[in-house]
Amino acid sequence: MIRLRANILDRLKTGDEKAVCDTLQDAIELEHSTIPLYLYALSSLDPRKNASIAQILQSVVIEEMLHMALAANVVNALGGSPQIDKPDFVPCYPGPLPGGVESDLTVHLAPFSMLQLETFLNIETPHDPIPLRAARAAGFADQPVTIGDFYKAIEESLIALGDGSFANPPRHQIGPDLMDNAVVVTNVDTAIQALTTIVEQGEGTPSTPKEVVGGGYAHYYRFMQIKKGHLLVKRPGNLPPAQQDTYSGDLVPFDPSGVYAVPIDPKAANYPVSSAQRLACDNFNSTYTSLLRSLHTTLNGQPDQLDTAIGLMMSLKGQAEQMMSGIPNPAVITGPSFEYLSVS
Amino acid sequence: MSYLHPLRLHFVGKFQANVSTVNNDLAHFNNATFKPSYQEMQGPNMNPPNGWFNPQGDAAFRLRGCRVTSAWMPDGTSAADSDAITQCLVDDSDSQVCAKLVDLDPQQQLVSMIWGLQVRITKTDGTTLLRGDFEPAAFTDMWNRATGSGEAGDMGFGAMYQSILTNLQWGDLSSSTFLQTLKMSSQQDGLLSIKFNVDGINMDFKSPDFMCGRVVGSIGPASAAEPHHIVLGRQFMTEDSRLNFFVARVDETTSSVFLDLGNTLSTASPGGSLNNVGNLTLGVYSSIPATSNPAGTVVPLGTIPALGRYGYASEPDWYSRTAGVVVLSLTSQQLELVQSAPLVLSTGNGTSLISEWTSGAFVRADQFVFRLSPGDRVQIAVFATQWGRPLSGAQVDFTFDDSGLQAGSSDPEVAKPPTALTFNGSAVTDQNGKAILEIVASDPQNPRKFIDGQVYGIRPVLSDAQFAGPMNPWNFVSFLVWDAFTPSEPVSWWGCLQPIFQQYANLYPVMQRFLDLSSYEQVCANIRLLELAFGLDPANPNSMPVTRDLSPAKRQAILRWFKNPELGTPPHRSIVVPTERDVSARTGAAEVQTPLIGRGGKTEAAAKRLMLTRKAQAS
Repeated sequence: MIRLRANILDRLKTGDEKAVCDTLQDAIELEHSTIPLYLYALSSLDPRKNASIAQILQSVVIEEMLHMALAANVVNALGGSPQIDKPDFVPCYPGPLPGGVESDLTVHLAPFSMLQLETFLNIETPHDPIPLRAARAAGFADQPVTIGDFYKAIEESLIALGDGSFANPPRHQIGPDLMDNAVVVTNVDTAIQALTTIVEQGEGTPSTPKEVVGGGYAHYYRFMQIKKGHLLVKRPGNLPPAQQDTYSGDLVPFDPSGVYAVPIDPKAANYPVSSAQRLACDNFNSTYTSLLRSLHTTLNGQPDQLDTAIGLMMSLKGQAEQMMSGIPNPAVITGPSFEYLSVS
Repeated sequence: MSYLHPLRLHFVGKFQANVSTVNNDLAHFNNATFKPSYQEMQGPNMNPPNGWFNPQGDAAFRLRGCRVTSAWMPDGTSAADSDAITQCLVDDSDSQVCAKLVDLDPQQQLVSMIWGLQVRITKTDGTTLLRGDFEPAAFTDMWNRATGSGEAGDMGFGAMYQSILTNLQWGDLSSSTFLQTLKMSSQQDGLLSIKFNVDGINMDFKSPDFMCGRVVGSIGPASAAEPHHIVLGRQFMTEDSRLNFFVARVDETTSSVFLDLGNTLSTASPGGSLNNVGNLTLGVYSSIPATSNPAGTVVPLGTIPALGRYGYASEPDWYSRTAGVVVLSLTSQQLELVQSAPLVLSTGNGTSLISEWTSGAFVRADQFVFRLSPGDRVQIAVFATQWGRPLSGAQVDFTFDDSGLQAGSSDPEVAKPPTALTFNGSAVTDQNGKAILEIVASDPQNPRKFIDGQVYGIRPVLSDAQFAGPMNPWNFVSFLVWDAFTPSEPVSWWGCLQPIFQQYANLYPVMQRFLDLSSYEQVCANIRLLELAFGLDPANPNSMPVTRDLSPAKRQAILRWFKNPELGTPPHRSIVVPTERDVSARTGAAEVQTPLIGRGGKTEAAAKRLMLTRKAQAS
């Protein structure tokens, strides 16, 4: 559960477009900030031993990129400009989540573990998690505000701004032709559709753990499968949506020996200059920074650059897995530090 | 115009060439006999060979830590100390994936080509001052550069790349008069010339420099009217392994001669300092040599000192600073002498080390690597020069020459059937010295069974006997001609595509980080991404397959199949009957001479060149 900083909602109360765009910039940073976390955990898994968990994490990472694009679409429709290519776009690990999120949740860039899973669950927790059988939302105290509430507040501001504030014909939009389930934003309705997609893919709805858009379960429930050690499956029979699914499907085993011994919160500077680790980390960060630059271009009027960004994403994944699994030298394991590099 | 020009900069640094080695062994291409161990790192001393020394390579080619070491203005003076260029870095892209290094074929591994490289000149804070796309180019003039005891293998090799930078984008050049001048030189054609020498590749997987080596190069002006990968200059043809082929250019404007010795002077150790082969004297024959006295009299023009303050073997930074480019000024009389007489580079005691042909003639194809499908027609530009000037009206003969291709005794034959390539037997050069080799490709009809298509070589040679001279073995054109392919309809996994995907899954274990290419389910689960990557132009660094060896016909079938990925019916199991010419994978015994085991892919390939194996058989 993420606690929202109080002044965020105050900012929205001014009702002007800039305040909404600034808040959406926070949203973009927030959506992005989960990507290094999930990717680091994903790449730390030996796929021969933890394939099911890896598959779950992978499916979530892909949708986080969509969430960035959806929030960016709203910013662009309002005439704003998403700022991706800047050093402070990248969170500092360990640290709070960006974007007006209060710091009682400190996130670490860490290999996969049940403890790290709790952080993921925390981030994606719905306001009222559906108490699915064998999935009690125990341990979560009654918190007032979630990421879902954050987006809800933005939606209310958008309604107040009205259709007149939105660019039509579409401005700098990433559409479903480029990214599955993307929404072209041209008015209040489509803006709300975009933000609702983010929320429902993350935390489902009050009545069902399923994503409304995209199929599959919302991120929170996907992660819960790992905690529960079983996949969610649909129960037979004509049941209300909230009771249709149970954690009684195939095993989702966790083999702790199938996690590479990568550090927590690595920094390039902690690896000696000219060491193999430092070079691998620098190459990785160079690719990561190029990805941010490419995303910036893509989300600021050149959607045809999305393919370049996707290519960089794949390169990043490949490098992360190489570094963490000790290729070419099994004796050398490196943690990709996800740092912004001004100079290659 | 080219980099061998008064206006130029030099740079030094490292490169990374993280090429995969599973595909070095032809037998690994055979799905029927593939073993999982072929994807593992080799054992000590290549015993067992497995997937050789870098099975997990991802083909990445990167520039690392390159910095500008000198910059020169058109009048021959160096750029001012205050000029920002003196502190600049040479880097690759900051906004797209890194470039890829790709061989043509397992039986032509000696024309590795860089695809998708973007080159930038930046300030130390990362601000980009120049951005350009490196036109894909293959290396050439490979030689065993590092002397010293024993055969060094790949790490001892040197080679060079020459190409152009296109799509130039310039930043704020207010702090660099040099770059402003370079920009002005590029205004007409929007091109720059780039050339770099590589050596000293490291093959120790425990080293931080694994798959990295030294790069030293130059950037200068280019004109659209000139070839992209050849300097129209004075070509020095070696018959002596102490010095390698190189080019020089007489510059009338500054009355000087530029020699590019960057890939010419040997080193004591891989990527190390230059050997001292004595003072080098550039000379010119004082008269046209007669057949009775081919040597003539050599008039010295200038000396390149080995020792002393700026000696090539004594100044520690000589090679980094100059990239091996030496400028010797000429008096007006000397300028006259060099117009039409052979240049020669000698040691101090007058022994000729390397010279131009007595006729001063030279011919080479500009681009020398081609991938063709049956039915493709291509026009290949071939340039002839004499004394560094276009040689017009000269007949150039084109003949098959497979001597540079690679086939060990248990490998499939190359260059057969010859019917797959038809071409003009000769052409005459125009006023620019250019002749066109016209190729029509047809179906080689799968002579190599489990390796698609066939490789060929064609060499251009000046027809007239007066232009005869020593050959640079690298100066021929390499072709991969793909087999014709018609998929069974409807296109399905088991119908005809599974073997293609299986082969890629076998040869490139790096792909397992993304998906199992041999699994129908996983391919289907990743169709969007694969569709994207397989649909890209090969010049795009994201293009798949990275090896660029998938025929367009197969690619089209795969792209069509992505739209409707039918599984089809698995074939009945059949017993694979080994045929006489079945290629068996290395089990440990070496095809090549024992000292070369584990010395690298280029070493082994070079030893399998037909020019050498035929020589061995003849003796």
